[in-house]
Amino acid sequence: MGNPFIANLSHYVKLTGGESAALDILLGKRVPFGPGDELVTPGRAGRHCHVLLQGQAFRHRNLADGRRQILLFQAPGDVLDLQGLFLGLDHEVTALSRGEMAIVPHEAMDALLDVNGNIARGLWRLSLVEAAIFREWMVGMGRRSAHARIAHLLCEVFVRLRVTGIAQGDRCPFPVTQTHLSDALGLSVVHTNRVLQTLRADGVADVRQGQLVVRDWQRLKLAGEFDPAYLHLAAAAA
Amino acid sequence: MTFQPVIVNIGEGAEGRLVFQDDQLVAVLVQLSALHGEQAGGWFLEPGFGPLAGPNPPVFADIDAASEWLAARLTAHAAISPPIERL
Repeated sequence: MGNPFIANLSHYVKLTGGESAALDILLGKRVPFGPGDELVTPGRAGRHCHVLLQGQAFRHRNLADGRRQILLFQAPGDVLDLQGLFLGLDHEVTALSRGEMAIVPHEAMDALLDVNGNIARGLWRLSLVEAAIFREWMVGMGRRSAHARIAHLLCEVFVRLRVTGIAQGDRCPFPVTQTHLSDALGLSVVHTNRVLQTLRADGVADVRQGQLVVRDWQRLKLAGEFDPAYLHLAAAAA
Repeated sequence: MTFQPVIVNIGEGAEGRLVFQDDQLVAVLVQLSALHGEQAGGWFLEPGFGPLAGPNPPVFADIDAASEWLAARLTAHAAISPPIERL
């Protein structure tokens, strides 16, 4: 398996052999992490970009009294804090599982972007897709029922992980609790639990023991009103 | 504050309580079934009205705990807000 960041970027721009090699070198410094580790913290004078290579994590914002909003579930190949290259960060990233990430000094990233407009455009596109995901989440939280929100999120996670190759058949790793799902979707744990019970009882999907199992993809998509177009992945399966 | 038993159409045919304060419906509590693991048997503030509405509804161990919390919230709100004008 190649570098998942290069694989991710390749969905949005065609990379030459030389460009891929340069990116491999750029992502040379690798650091392992464990579940619950803080991968990105705002406010720390960040001079590095963090790229998720293996494992899973979630992006979130914590309010003063402990309430939490999860903003995104990160997949291998994601840059966890691209915004930090230009602006301050307004979120944290915490690990869901064990894994590995690359730490790239901003200087090195800047130097590469200075000489390579293709890679710069690719990163720009990654940011735009991220924004599209946030908009889709807004639509869900604003206008979808609890059942549809959860179904949609499970579809999104499954498609994104399948594209990175870590899904096997009808299942993928997804070590989240009901609290994670609730914090992502603006639901109470009670409502989340009810929906998950229904999805399981109906034979549609199951989130249990660190895995998402999609038992009936067509019904899950229908329940979530899911159309993968917003992910802009030419390779995304229908 | 009074608690009127009622069955709520949650799919589990859940037992509930309509909570009245001074003849006004202020909340509906729903008892959580065994499907809710650790929270089973607890009372969930399903909809709350006025000062009891909000995005983080609590689960209470029993009706007494619910009564205390609801009363405290309503009292706190009344202390800082003028009565709602009839339109």
